Amino acid sequence: MNVLKVSKFTIALFVLPCLLLYVLLVFVPIIVSMYSGLLEWNGIGESTFVGLANFKTMFFDDAVFWPSVRRTLMFAVFSMAEIPVVLFIAILLNRYVKKPNFLVSSYFLPIILSVVIIGQLWKTIYNPASMGGMLNQVLEAIGLGSWTQAWLTDPSIAMYSLYFVALWQYFGYHLLIQFTGIQNIPADVYEAAKIDGADGLKADWYITFPMNIPIFKISIVLAFIGSLQAFDLTMVMTGGGPAHATDLISTHMYNMSFLSMKYGYGSAIAAFLVLVCLVATFIINFIFGRVERKYT
Amino acid sequence: MNKMNGILKVVMAGTLALSLAACGANNGNNEGTNTGTNAGTDNGGGKKEDITITFQNIYPDPTDPKNGMIKKIVAQYEKDHPGVKIELDSLNTDQQKVKLKTQAASREVPDITIVNPAAQMKPFVDAKLFAPLNDMVAENGLKDTFQEGILDFYSFDDNLYALPDGNNIGLVYYNKELFDQAGVKVPTTFEEMVQVVKDLKAKGIQPMAIGEKDTWTGSFLFMNVLLRTNGPGFLQEVIDGKKTFEDPAFTEAVDAFQSLIQAGAFQEGATSFDYNAGENLFKTGKAAMYYMGSWATGGIETSSVNGKVGVFKFPTVNGKGDVNEFMLAPGSAFAISADSKHLEETKDFLNYFMLNFPKEAFEVKGAVGLAQKVEGDFKAAGYSDMAMEVLGMFKDVKGGDLAFDNTMNPGTAQGHLTSIQNLFVQKMESAKVSKEHQSAYDSNK
Repeated sequence: MNVLKVSKFTIALFVLPCLLLYVLLVFVPIIVSMYSGLLEWNGIGESTFVGLANFKTMFFDDAVFWPSVRRTLMFAVFSMAEIPVVLFIAILLNRYVKKPNFLVSSYFLPIILSVVIIGQLWKTIYNPASMGGMLNQVLEAIGLGSWTQAWLTDPSIAMYSLYFVALWQYFGYHLLIQFTGIQNIPADVYEAAKIDGADGLKADWYITFPMNIPIFKISIVLAFIGSLQAFDLTMVMTGGGPAHATDLISTHMYNMSFLSMKYGYGSAIAAFLVLVCLVATFIINFIFGRVERKYT
Repeated sequence: MNKMNGILKVVMAGTLALSLAACGANNGNNEGTNTGTNAGTDNGGGKKEDITITFQNIYPDPTDPKNGMIKKIVAQYEKDHPGVKIELDSLNTDQQKVKLKTQAASREVPDITIVNPAAQMKPFVDAKLFAPLNDMVAENGLKDTFQEGILDFYSFDDNLYALPDGNNIGLVYYNKELFDQAGVKVPTTFEEMVQVVKDLKAKGIQPMAIGEKDTWTGSFLFMNVLLRTNGPGFLQEVIDGKKTFEDPAFTEAVDAFQSLIQAGAFQEGATSFDYNAGENLFKTGKAAMYYMGSWATGGIETSSVNGKVGVFKFPTVNGKGDVNEFMLAPGSAFAISADSKHLEETKDFLNYFMLNFPKEAFEVKGAVGLAQKVEGDFKAAGYSDMAMEVLGMFKDVKGGDLAFDNTMNPGTAQGHLTSIQNLFVQKMESAKVSKEHQSAYDSNK
């Protein structure tokens, strides 16, 4: 076991500073926040310990909570469904485009922009035609006037409008990751396959997919966790409105903690979010563990 | 032994590095949150050290006259009091609210900060975060500069905790030019107002503007309707247990409010417009009416529709109510942290600041809707006709109501705000709206 020829004590010593920082900055706040979830507290004054009452309210009496969980999970599903599409486009770029780097960098641009700018930009695009909304004006101009919508203010579609913007923004990010992953697959594997008669899509199926699985997994995990924590875009574009129609777990948590001043209750929601993230990460790791073992 | 020494060295070096890092972080933290309230006291020698007072405020916009005004008063004070530095922490209203709550949680309230009256500042007062200002307001006759009764909104158990920068009323601004184009007259009843909306709409003119992404705007208007159907004090009666939200006056108000929305009064997509964007529609002449607190007067005066704008009192609803009862909006107010390291100096500065506030505001044409008495001839100073009309309206005020979130606890207020915002996107049965309100109230008692 002692391959490194240093004592465990030394190893511990070198690991310690980082571990300490990590524990202090990540675990301690999580524990503290879980504890606040057991309090009835407005964030400022005295607090009373109420046990699991906050969680009871959350699961059974809060009309906003479950719909916001559903919207968050839907968001996660959409984000993950985007990845295979991205992978396909990355394959096409890699194979048929002569100088793909330029395209990849252009797709990456929205990531560089701040979410606030993206939000304001799309807000104007989604505006009603009478207020200069580009999307509705374009629809009218090409004779699809009946398709125009109040994209951000109709409760039944506002959330989908937000999903789209988020998917649009992160498209380039995942494309870059997948594209790099594909480029890292050695060319000689493909050459060998070509001799054996596997070309084009067949080569992708038997070579690109299996060899790209670790990279694919990174994107999926990032997309999943990212969408569970999504907050800024909704805040900028709708603030969770109209009438909670676009509230996600995170915005609901924010509204509860800071606007309704129920800090304890907000912490309970936060604790739930952490738990969901942990469980989900565990499941994803488990699934990919099996898939990877199957192919490697 | 040698090995042990080596390890010891590493440990020492590690500890040193950690402690250095910790110090660095700590310093940065102090500067970030407390903006160096007292940079020099700890290592100070015999001579009197410079002190810094942090002044959190909500005037970040350099085009806002109040922004220049606050800087001017601060500069003058710093000149007269060498050794005192006033550090401005200027934030948007919403940012300031969140920042203050975060600071309050760790009891790091800046020396001077901004709070809203009545129910909104109560949690802070209950947590004993603010210093009572009773003695300070008595000095230099500051108390007498305030209007009768206005300080009550900032007093709890006979202690005054904050000094307001304004006192406003809710009223309707209208664009005379657009009214002429559509051939409509100023409505005297709510039913006429709905008709005016329809007439304007028929001429292709946007009848009203509102920034309903910031939910309080619609609530403010709705509460004015309720003030007419019920008379003042509805929410207090609910709190006292004499009424519920299922009261007929409340449902009547909901119905009236919906009739206005259903007539197409507000711009498409109103719920995605924030306060400024909504107001801009009116200020750029794209909407004919705008219901807002009188604080909007200054902004409208400096906009392109200046000179074309008149004001009217919110009309009676179904023949009920008194037009001289207004939505009252005692302004945001300056409070001093109870934990301030320089309590005396801070009090002295705020005293000076408030004494000069009306005078300077008058000069930059920002004196409409102040909480203090203003001396001077408004007309001669070049205030617009609209401003004069608004000032005249103040003289007619015979009581009224506070905004919802100034009366109810934050939890209920949020329930109310969403419920009203929802009316802008879909028609609801008034009974259902009542029920939403009642259950929000019951679960937040």
